[in-house]
Amino acid sequence: MSATARLLGRRWAGRGSPALIGLGTVAVLLLAWELAPRVGLVSRVTVPTPTDTLRGFVQLVSGGYWLGHLRSTLIAVLAAFVLGSTAGFTLGTVLGISPFVRRVITPYVIALQALPKVVLAPLLIGWLGFGTPSKIAVATAICFFPVWVNTMVGLSLPGADEFRLMASLRASRWRVFRMLQLPSALPMVLVGLKHALLLAFTGVLVAEILAGSAGGLGQLAESFAYQLLMPLAFAVVTLVILIAVALVTLVDRLEHRIVFWTRPEGADER
Amino acid sequence: MTVSRSEVAGSTIARVTGLTKEFRSAGGEVLAVADVDLEVRQREFLSLCGPSGCGKSTLLSMLGGLTPPTRGEVVIDGEPLAGPSRDIGMMFQTPVLFPWRTTLQNVLLPIEVFGKRPADHKDRARELLGMVGLEEFVDAYPWQLSGGMQQRAALCRVLLYDPKLLLLDEPFGALDEFTREAMDLELLRIWSETAKTIVFVTHNINEAVFMSDRVAVMTPRPGRVVSVLDIPLPRPRERQLMRTKEFADLVFEARSLLGVA
Repeated sequence: MSATARLLGRRWAGRGSPALIGLGTVAVLLLAWELAPRVGLVSRVTVPTPTDTLRGFVQLVSGGYWLGHLRSTLIAVLAAFVLGSTAGFTLGTVLGISPFVRRVITPYVIALQALPKVVLAPLLIGWLGFGTPSKIAVATAICFFPVWVNTMVGLSLPGADEFRLMASLRASRWRVFRMLQLPSALPMVLVGLKHALLLAFTGVLVAEILAGSAGGLGQLAESFAYQLLMPLAFAVVTLVILIAVALVTLVDRLEHRIVFWTRPEGADER
Repeated sequence: MTVSRSEVAGSTIARVTGLTKEFRSAGGEVLAVADVDLEVRQREFLSLCGPSGCGKSTLLSMLGGLTPPTRGEVVIDGEPLAGPSRDIGMMFQTPVLFPWRTTLQNVLLPIEVFGKRPADHKDRARELLGMVGLEEFVDAYPWQLSGGMQQRAALCRVLLYDPKLLLLDEPFGALDEFTREAMDLELLRIWSETAKTIVFVTHNINEAVFMSDRVAVMTPRPGRVVSVLDIPLPRPRERQLMRTKEFADLVFEARSLLGVA
């Protein structure tokens, strides 16, 4: 290998390059998206260009009414996330510390996991009406599962020797839970919470699209698309994506700070 | 001086009578430990030595009150043992350090489990960590330590709450040969400085003879103590001891009892 190639190789393996490649990819995709409707590859009416979308975004923001929809969506997401995670964590804990209950319940949990939970949305909307409660209910029902399952599984992660050590110290059940099981489960619980946050978002949007009168970003996007105001619809979708990415990034940061021991120093290098 | 410690050490700290453990398995009942009688003397170093499946770990676990016996009894200091006791400290083949705790916090774990203030025991914990050469790693996390260092920390954790009887289940079995030998010598040094009673499980005959005042030789199917061998070798023990005829004879005797001479 020549010296130049080796140098190049090291540069590509360096720290900055993955970010650079990522940015490059985004730039190429944006360019392709901008060009495809302009050269007539797809209709610009149904697929507006990034610049059209940007213009739609400015129009949306200057209209002012979007803030109410944004607030409606975010409040529902937050409420559903808190309700679903609390319920999931509580049930996961109750079942997780009781091996017997866990053994009996696990098959049903697996069956429920396989279920496409969005199918519950029409039922919940039918029971609770077209308002905010049905939005929150749908999202809660969906985001509850990952927290429940991950808490339950996480609490059973410690090995036999860990439990034997605590038993040899005559640790109370509460101390075994607080000092061993809960910290062991934390990484999995946090992964569950991250999924729950995204699922709560999904659930709220689905409910908004299905039950139009409740308001929110889902309903906004749906009504724009229905009127073929595609730049505006694209602007709302982009907004939703940006919010989701921001939320996940935030939770990722928190996760790495809280469960620092799952990424020992040196592991980031790879 | 050629007086072995078992001669100076006196009374019985633990007595095991008719101790039996049956496990139910798919193929029926398995007799893991069959009718074991054994006494552990104050301040002695006793090894349980035998091949895998001879029930030595199960026997140790019953001595620690972690496994209830099917029949028979363990008496510690005159009291029948009904479960784990804070007078008994256990160490396992894995160090069992919690990765979210620093070395110091791991050593202080028993204090927290007992509901006492860890701050009151920090000085003692640091002293113990210094004794095993971990003073530089007090605030390091377990994943930053080598296997040998992790077991040293685990040893400090069990010494911190000062149990009378230490039950060590192949504590250095997962370490490489060089580290294990160094840890053996260190354990002997600590044992002589702290005046504890140690029951040590190992499948390594040389190690058992080198470390112990007495070796309980165990055979499998069913798990039995076939003989308890006195090791009247002088202390403190050095590596050179392994080259002596006395050492070789004792190892040979243990091997014949195990049927591998």
